[in-house]
Amino acid sequence: MTTLNAGAAPAPVYERSAGFWSGVLKKLARDPVAIGAAAVLLALVLIALFAPLITPHDPYQTSLLKRLRPIGFENFLLGTDELGRDLLSRLMLGARLSLFMGIVPVLIAFVLGSAIGILAGYAGGLANTLIMRTIDVLYAFPSVLLAIALSGALGAGIGNALLSLTIVFIPPIARVAESVTTQVRGRDFVEAARASGAGAFTIVRVHVLGNVLGPIFVYATSLIAVSMILASGLSFLGLGVRPPEPEWGLMLNTLRTAIYTQPWVAALPGVMIFITSISFNLLSDSLRSAMDVKN
Amino acid sequence: MTVRPARLLSALIGCGLIALTSASGSVLAQEKVLRIGMTAADIPRTLGQPDQGFEGNRFTGIPMYDALTQWDLSKADAPSVLIPGLAASWAVDAADKTKWVFKLRPGAKFHDGSAFDADAVVWNVQKVLDKDARHFDASQVGVTASRMPTLRSARKIDELTVELTTSEPDSFLPLNLTNLFMASPAHWEAKLKAVPASVTDPAERAKQAWVAFAADASGTGPFKMSRFVPRERLEVVKNTAYWDPKRTPTIDKVVMLPLPEANARTAALLSGQVDWIEAPAPDAIPQIKSRGFTVYSNPQPHIWPWQLSFAEGSPWLDKRVRHAANLCINRGELKELLGGMMGEAKGIVSPDHPWWGNPSFDVKFDPDAARKLMAEAGHSAAKPLKVKVQVSASGSGQMQPLPMNEYLQESLRQCYFDVELDVLEWNTLFTNWRRGAKDPSASGANAINVTAATMDPFFAMVRFVSTKTFPPVSNNWGFFGNDEFDALIATARTTFEDKERDAALARLHARIVEEAPFVFVAHDVGPRAMSPKVKGVVQPKSWFIDIAPMRVE
Amino acid sequence: MIFYLLRRIVYTVPIMLGVAFFCFLLVHISPGDPLVAILPPDASVELQRQLMTLYGFDRSWPEQFFGWLWRALQGDLGTSIATGRPVADEVFRAVGNTLMLACLATLIGFLLGSLFGFVAGYFSNSWVDRAASALSVLGVSVPHYWLGMVMVIVFSAWLGWLPPTGAGPGGSDQWAWDWAHIQYMVLPAVTMSVIPMGIIARTVRALVADILAQEFVVGLKAKGMTDSGIFLHVVKNAAPTALAVMGLQLGYLLGGSILIETVFSWPGTGFLLNSAIFQRDLPLLQGTILVLAMFFVLLNLLVDTLQTAIDPRIQR
Repeated sequence: MTTLNAGAAPAPVYERSAGFWSGVLKKLARDPVAIGAAAVLLALVLIALFAPLITPHDPYQTSLLKRLRPIGFENFLLGTDELGRDLLSRLMLGARLSLFMGIVPVLIAFVLGSAIGILAGYAGGLANTLIMRTIDVLYAFPSVLLAIALSGALGAGIGNALLSLTIVFIPPIARVAESVTTQVRGRDFVEAARASGAGAFTIVRVHVLGNVLGPIFVYATSLIAVSMILASGLSFLGLGVRPPEPEWGLMLNTLRTAIYTQPWVAALPGVMIFITSISFNLLSDSLRSAMDVKN
Repeated sequence: MTVRPARLLSALIGCGLIALTSASGSVLAQEKVLRIGMTAADIPRTLGQPDQGFEGNRFTGIPMYDALTQWDLSKADAPSVLIPGLAASWAVDAADKTKWVFKLRPGAKFHDGSAFDADAVVWNVQKVLDKDARHFDASQVGVTASRMPTLRSARKIDELTVELTTSEPDSFLPLNLTNLFMASPAHWEAKLKAVPASVTDPAERAKQAWVAFAADASGTGPFKMSRFVPRERLEVVKNTAYWDPKRTPTIDKVVMLPLPEANARTAALLSGQVDWIEAPAPDAIPQIKSRGFTVYSNPQPHIWPWQLSFAEGSPWLDKRVRHAANLCINRGELKELLGGMMGEAKGIVSPDHPWWGNPSFDVKFDPDAARKLMAEAGHSAAKPLKVKVQVSASGSGQMQPLPMNEYLQESLRQCYFDVELDVLEWNTLFTNWRRGAKDPSASGANAINVTAATMDPFFAMVRFVSTKTFPPVSNNWGFFGNDEFDALIATARTTFEDKERDAALARLHARIVEEAPFVFVAHDVGPRAMSPKVKGVVQPKSWFIDIAPMRVE
Repeated sequence: MIFYLLRRIVYTVPIMLGVAFFCFLLVHISPGDPLVAILPPDASVELQRQLMTLYGFDRSWPEQFFGWLWRALQGDLGTSIATGRPVADEVFRAVGNTLMLACLATLIGFLLGSLFGFVAGYFSNSWVDRAASALSVLGVSVPHYWLGMVMVIVFSAWLGWLPPTGAGPGGSDQWAWDWAHIQYMVLPAVTMSVIPMGIIARTVRALVADILAQEFVVGLKAKGMTDSGIFLHVVKNAAPTALAVMGLQLGYLLGGSILIETVFSWPGTGFLLNSAIFQRDLPLLQGTILVLAMFFVLLNLLVDTLQTAIDPRIQR
């Protein structure tokens, strides 16, 4: 959950040849772990996208007579929750918000953090110092503490949780972006471009972005699992998504009082979080090693 | 703050090794100890005026302190009524109804040995009402002043007689006084003296004296404070010199632990870490019972409602709609959802209460009648009535707010309601409650789900239906009220004979149920689970429970 | 080296100031009434205003911030609204408890993580590697509050082996290092150690594999250097980074213990933070976050310094 501050080093920077990405893809295609993780994630994304069409029951339909039924009860494949709602349907629909809360904060932070980092890295000097010291202030908070403090201060709700998580992820991404940009900036090919009279914008667009976004992207993918677990942790504390929306962290929270009566049913949302975050982690690892030119 | 992880680590390793080799023989003393797991996240304040709502009064108020008046907690089958406490008797002045004379009980002593007398009462009134008093404590004002809104001052007449003055004639005063616990002035003075001389600011000295008092308190109650670990545990021991022989404890020591997490409480009970837990999770109750524990419950003076808005444009302005919503809820089924841990509400109080008053509108489950009313009001399945309710995900006294509100949402759908739940953080909801339905914080909601304690008439009824309690003054969130209700309230407030006052309150209650400014849903039953070795437990129809007469075997 | 250290310390000062300002900002952006913890639902506007003045919430922001900062520098973090006790006392007592737990968790995590990581890196790309790596990925992927709940159910409620909550039979102020007390730490510490275990295992694996792949190690092997010699070489080169990661993990556990402490009712900073958030006890919230963040900043500084001192290869 705290991998984010562990300072995962970005992949080293080399000038990417045209065939670089296809090479990475080829390597990934030969990696059974990557294929497996990607397949699981693809399945989850498809389920999330088509959830309203494929859920066997109405995920909001409560029934007090059928609450907390075991796995395999009648036509409830995974049992029912504390209000008698079909757990399978809720897990399927819950994939939407859970994936959303995993991916979107990282995505926004990826865009903003990269922009900030590249700007600071490319500008250098005083601007760099100012931007990066401000980022350092946020980075000085352990991620869980920052997320919970922000959400706790702002109050419960999906918007606030999204905002908190985004703020948590901007500093590490900006730092990686800044360090990679600073590296690239000193490279021969950038110096060459500059010497040939290319404008700053062109240099950033052509030379910096092309070489910088890759490592940042890999780093960002490793944050998705962190984001998911953090988001579900917020919901678990009552600071995230609000009911009756299905979200795995919140489902875990509301089902936890049933852990004595239906431990398997109550454990399922946790299992889903687990499977998803492990898939993201494995895919991110594979991506990182595929991009490592040394291997 | 310089901590060296390396040194700490080596210390840890060393100690771990010692621990593994040393025998773990814990000596079980023969003393009788009762260990309680509370739901509060922190130990309620111990200096006499507890926080943490009524759980505070239950655990750090009533066991350690007494008030002038108290609730009778000795019966499980009748409503808990007011009885004398440290005051033996009281009466309002026949000529000036703002003056009351309280005759004090002789022979009561504080835990520090000092006597309880008229000076002590005056001192305790001053601690929250007299800003110029040396021992005035702002932090105690909030929880206290609002529970006795009309009390203004106290005056000693003789050693065992005090005169209390209210701002207006108020027959509710004796009920309110259950909330003013008597702390020892002598003990506080001793704590003040012990504050280092380097602290010179009198306000700061007083503040530090209160902090010291809270860590080593002195009241007149059946239990004396013996040990206090902030946020972790409070230990009290029996007060063998207690003034009421019926309430002199046989249990040697009571240990109270804050365990806010329902599963942690359950686990603590099942593993034998505590003997008693408050509010076990409903779904864990079968398991708890099957392991031989006893689950006690009894409806409390508490209402779990939707409080409706009468602001302009609110759909609830139509009485048919209010009645329809009340008729559309299958409270029996809801009770089943909560594992039986709920009382079905038919009004603010239950029909066996002196304030019931036989309202002509019967709050029950009758979906056909509800749909008929809704149809008359112009709504149908195709054209449902949109309502928005602010609710919380948790909160003191809120029972299981999410499942319950989701259940209401589903139930009301069959009566052409389209309910939107706006889930807020508990404190935000609570703050909004004071701001009212017209405040932007209501964000368009036309009902709010905040539960209420209904022990005293002001809290149970007056604050919800008086035009004088519109926000931000008090909790008439929905701006319900008119001349008729103001008159009913005035009558009750100025009727000083107990029976007649109750009759006046019953008339008020009957009209409230008939006008239905609430969707009446549930009463909390205060479930608690105890080990079978705890005997003599009486769970009264109250928020409180008396630990003093219990036994541990 | 000395110059680097000085520069590092000078850098830390503005960050600390920024952190303090952010803590202050954090609780002042929060909606709701700052006195809601002690204000009853039906408090009059007059009472509310009176208390706002008594607690100083009616003063301007800069006045409140600098006043708070000045007192904080003198070790006075204000008074908790809910309990009336000094915040500094509350926070430092809690920090001690959390440190105890976090140190044990980090230690468990470090030992297991190093073992898995080392084995995985040493037998790179074999089935052992995959199994050990799988374990470490599990560690960073599991929602640990959920794991904690499951452990309580299994080991406390069902089996009755270990106590589920609290810090010892008599509360944390009677803590002693014997089994009667340590058993209270086992479940929370093991649950907490899962993350550092995963992270340290991943770090160590990467380090070991890297070092072994270096040409001169391959050369040493070819020259017939013994396995134990290579082992020592690897340990010597991997240790500084692994220890640095461990140090940082301790910092994260200190700040990130809130979920676990909530599940286990461990009277540490996370538990304190949780009640501060839910009671809206702003001075307590401010103080706790400030102390944790400062601790983290200092820990970072310490780790950096030590790493520079130990590892001569790092040239700054």
